[in-house]
Amino acid sequence: MYIKGVGMTKFDYSTKPWWQFAFEASLEAFKDAQMTPADIDAIVFSSISSAAGGEHQSHKVSFLSDLFKTNVPIIEVPSVCGGGGVAFWTALHLQGFKNILVLASEKYADNKSETTVDWILSAAEKTIEQPEGMLFPVQNALIWQQYMAKYKATMDDLSLVAFKNHTNATLNPKAYFYKKPIDLEKIKNSPIVASPFRLMDCSLSVNGGAAVILSQEESDIKVIGSGFATDYLMTFGRQDLTHFKATQLAAKQAFGQAGLTPNDINVAEVHDAFTSVELISYEDLGFADFGQGAELIRSGKINLGGSLPINPSGGLKAKGHPISATGLAQIYEITNQLKGRAEKERQTNPLPKYGLTHNIGGAGGSVTVHIFEKNN
Amino acid sequence: MPFYKCLKCGKVWQYPLSECPFCFIKLEPLVSKQAKVVSASKVIIPTMRHAFVPYFSALIEDENNNKWVYKSIQELNQGDCLSYCSDSEAIAVWRIKYDYLEAIRKAIELIKGLELKENSKILILPSLFSATQAHVRENTSPEFLQAIIEYLLQNNIKIENIKIASQAFGEIPIEAMAERSGLLAVCLKNKIMPLDLNKTNFIKQDDLEISEEVIKADLVINLGINQAGRAKATENIFRILKKENYLGLKYLCSEKEIAQKLENKINNLINLSEADYLRDKEGYIYYLGIILAGKSFLKLDRVFNEIIMSREISDLIADISFEDISLVGRHIKEIQFNLIKI
Repeated sequence: MYIKGVGMTKFDYSTKPWWQFAFEASLEAFKDAQMTPADIDAIVFSSISSAAGGEHQSHKVSFLSDLFKTNVPIIEVPSVCGGGGVAFWTALHLQGFKNILVLASEKYADNKSETTVDWILSAAEKTIEQPEGMLFPVQNALIWQQYMAKYKATMDDLSLVAFKNHTNATLNPKAYFYKKPIDLEKIKNSPIVASPFRLMDCSLSVNGGAAVILSQEESDIKVIGSGFATDYLMTFGRQDLTHFKATQLAAKQAFGQAGLTPNDINVAEVHDAFTSVELISYEDLGFADFGQGAELIRSGKINLGGSLPINPSGGLKAKGHPISATGLAQIYEITNQLKGRAEKERQTNPLPKYGLTHNIGGAGGSVTVHIFEKNN
Repeated sequence: MPFYKCLKCGKVWQYPLSECPFCFIKLEPLVSKQAKVVSASKVIIPTMRHAFVPYFSALIEDENNNKWVYKSIQELNQGDCLSYCSDSEAIAVWRIKYDYLEAIRKAIELIKGLELKENSKILILPSLFSATQAHVRENTSPEFLQAIIEYLLQNNIKIENIKIASQAFGEIPIEAMAERSGLLAVCLKNKIMPLDLNKTNFIKQDDLEISEEVIKADLVINLGINQAGRAKATENIFRILKKENYLGLKYLCSEKEIAQKLENKINNLINLSEADYLRDKEGYIYYLGIILAGKSFLKLDRVFNEIIMSREISDLIADISFEDISLVGRHIKEIQFNLIKI
């Protein structure tokens, strides 16, 4: 399948309704693809929320039918933070449809942060883990403690991840932290949230939407690899406490289909819900050997201008993380990078041929990896 | 923390599955004997269900290499062992994690167990307050009643020595409440004939007329179902009184005094109270995941009120000082739940 068009809203705390994020992202994708809703044969939609304050809308597929004045099949595929990636994977596996709109939108940052956090926590185990205070930052802090003990990485390494992504976001007009630089010292000294994690190790919960139009008709961006794997909801019931098996499995599938190795990738969007998740994912995706993720961030190779820019968009960390929309926003970024359409300061140079997206649901519970090729 | 292992294929779950989906055989519960802290994170941010900070959230591992997570208000460090005191006079506070039987076992262990002999006669008093379905959480859950029966059977109590009884104080016939609540089905499944205390003899003790079944039993198990703004374990114990006696006493003295008299009078009593799901006064239901156990129903209800941080407190327990109640099991601040915020 090929990508015909992409769209994305600015990620922010605006108070628009959920469907408006969906509509704006779709509109940009339609224009990019030079299509209208009449050209779309199916829609795959992902979302977990439409408002945390009580105006939650179920049966969004019917709403979308009205929005786009269409009666085509619309499938809703929620998979929390990994929803966008899973929706994209699902669309790739649908048969008999020429043009598919893959869409995600979320409006869940609309209440006190305690409410938003409680909403997000429905993505974690509710009866055994959460009553024990196992919030997502805590879960990942415990994983990172294991990693640090095993591989001698430091919190300073995570600060470098945050600094890189914040720097990139300052250049991305659609990122929440656009033109809002944060220096390394401020990152290192941000308040502790769940030891050893600081506030600046956590991604930013925002509202937003993203859309991708997939087509059987050839375009310059081809999807050449698609992997999807799941893992246990109970993070510590897994065998490996320092890595995410689902990422390794999804990456293996995607690279196998693409006939590529991690060394072939020129630019990547990696799921950085927490700085540690990005660093660990370098290894799970094969960009670094096990235990060498810290060395990769220290090397500067993955900064803008390096040989493999990772998260040129600013990532979840600084572009923002509107749950289901994240996976499609990653594809938006990689498509623009491959097409050479990113802002000049963020554009990977020379023009990349292969791009990768990596989207995680929960703490490694559902993971998709997609690989894209630019054809001239 | 209980784990469930298939002894054939070796797979382990934290969920109490009925059988292994690969081997189709019953899973074996694994109970940890020793649990050590692998690592811990100090949490600074309060959330709706974790109002008090800082707290420590730790990764725990037992002798079988099973791992789980655990919250503590006290600092936890790598290598620390988890251990609990037990006290027969205390109120035990424990978490229910799907498995009622395991939660009951642990809660009873924390109050130093029950004095059960092979021929002990047991009277179970489930909460039966309305003719409503189980999910409404007005009555003891069928699963909770089933679990206490299983606990007794596992402790060699004969099924013929177990009686399940209640009494209707209102207009709704007890048969309707028993049927609708699902508790009748539990009785019938276990071949236990439910008993309407109203039809039993009552023995006069001072100004109380107490069912003969209570006096004759070696152990009475009062199954409360906690509810915000109420003192349901205490309210349930009134059902052992003759209805007319109870209604008459209410004219002569307060319900609180009746409760205190009963607490002094009934020595063969243990209270087990489920608060897996919590019903508020308007009937909304919230997940809580708690079990309480203890000899004193008044203290048990008072502890529950403290757990949910409720501004509203039943007159039955309003005078009881929480600070004077000895607790075992989970620390109150580990489990306190601000119902107002949810």
